[in-house]
Amino acid sequence: MPLGLLALVAVGAHAAADVLGERILAGVDRTQAFFDSLFGSWSFTAPLVNLVSVETRTLFARAVALVWELWADALLALPMLGFRAGEERSTEVAQAKLLLRQLARRPTPLKLLRPLCTAALCVAGACSVARLVRGTLLSSGVLSRMLAPVALLAVLSFLATRASLRSLERAELQTDRKRRSTLRAWSLGTIGTLMLLPLALAALFGASPVWSFFR
Amino acid sequence: MRRAPAGSRATVRAANGPRRGGKCADRLVILLELCATLLCLWAGFYRTPAGALVRMTLARLFGMHSSARPLLAYYSAGVYGGVMPVPTPLRGPVPPGEALGYGAHAVLAQLPPREQAQIAHRAALTTGQLADPAALSLWLATTAKGSSDSAAVLALFCGEEATRFAREASAARAPNLEQLALELPPRYSSEIALASQTMMLGTAFSLGWPVSESAHVTSPFGFREHPILGGKRLHAGVDLGIPVGTPVRAAAAGIVRRASSDSINGKMVIVDHGRGVTTAYLHNDSLLVSVGERVNRGQPLSRSGNSGRSTGPHLHYQLDLAGQPVDPLNYRVSTPAQHLLRAGGSD
Repeated sequence: MPLGLLALVAVGAHAAADVLGERILAGVDRTQAFFDSLFGSWSFTAPLVNLVSVETRTLFARAVALVWELWADALLALPMLGFRAGEERSTEVAQAKLLLRQLARRPTPLKLLRPLCTAALCVAGACSVARLVRGTLLSSGVLSRMLAPVALLAVLSFLATRASLRSLERAELQTDRKRRSTLRAWSLGTIGTLMLLPLALAALFGASPVWSFFR
Repeated sequence: MRRAPAGSRATVRAANGPRRGGKCADRLVILLELCATLLCLWAGFYRTPAGALVRMTLARLFGMHSSARPLLAYYSAGVYGGVMPVPTPLRGPVPPGEALGYGAHAVLAQLPPREQAQIAHRAALTTGQLADPAALSLWLATTAKGSSDSAAVLALFCGEEATRFAREASAARAPNLEQLALELPPRYSSEIALASQTMMLGTAFSLGWPVSESAHVTSPFGFREHPILGGKRLHAGVDLGIPVGTPVRAAAAGIVRRASSDSINGKMVIVDHGRGVTTAYLHNDSLLVSVGERVNRGQPLSRSGNSGRSTGPHLHYQLDLAGQPVDPLNYRVSTPAQHLLRAGGSD
């Protein structure tokens, strides 16, 4: 199960990073234009112009996407290895309720945003998995159309919910460790989480064609 | 024997007693959970760079062969990132509308005869038709009716059934090659790479020329002694000797990705034509477009000049395919080099 959760978040992170690729390339172009004009102003920095040359810009943009994706993997996917399944569904539900009560009592950006980002990546990941199932069974016609939504729903209900809860559990642990002050609890992990937000939005709006599996 | 603490899961279960009929449902849930987990692992292994990294590491550890692609090839659905075939020299002008057929011909020419025969059989083409760019163009144009160029090219390499499936499955109304490729399983990755190379070469063959066809080449593509810095360096484009103020036109429709100025490249424009094809126009006198602007084929982008690190008025015209600079002269009807090379501005 923990490996499955890790894989699901990683697949979602990749789908999101792939969606962001074009925007990253545009960002690389603008940044490169700025630095080239800056470095070109002095003779001793002129050799730095074309540090990222015209022809390597696509590769550079993809490398940025890869680093971003691996960053998301490190922050959201790897902690899934610490997931321990409850012996019964009822205990998991009770645990989830407890975590949500703690979140309502003492909300922080980390506790609010990390599970939401994880959930967004999981939806994108579940769509990728369902797409893979549908594509693999392409010659079976109806079977592929039937099994893809089943796979989507199974992954969403069994793994995506647990991944989001695990993310919340970890955020809770991080916030409560050593009884941090309110200010420290609010600033904890904010930069990392904010860096995940574009990926989460791309996952939700660009890589989650959920309805396409039910047409 | 130790007793379970009060309130623990074991105690709760013992107090509730064994559930009748629940066992079967539990087993079904466990089975579904296992299936969902395995599906995620499968997708993670074959669809992500992180999975490729794990596969490569495992293959190294156990001394096995790995089918993992380079990490950066997992973006854009694995298209427009592969190794390009060297196009066969053009024997005459590419007729309008046949560029894609020429692209397919160039890609097919790189394949071993057995694979060529498989593709010919699948597409119901004869071996003779496969070797004829005009026949391939006709096949692609016929197949593209009611769909798109991307779907037609994909049908040539992956078969019509897979393409129809990808078109129906895609959420996009007019899916491009990336969107179609996303719907197909990993076993089609090599065919998708061939289709993307065809699209890329087809786009490259359809490019116009940024200035008058009669403009002479002052410095060709390739390794040469740098005129200012000295030493052997790659000249990633061709230098075309033209007077300052000559309009420089877009080689094809596209989006302006960069319109900037620096002391090395001078005033430059980069246009993205899609399908992995980009053209760059350097050392201009003034720019007529801005970043993000859509341009049409033949639209003036700039007025040529002598800006940046340059020895005289000229245009540095560069063509990149899948991020690699290629000789733009290979993608137009070649003219003997001795008539082209003349003294003039360079960079």
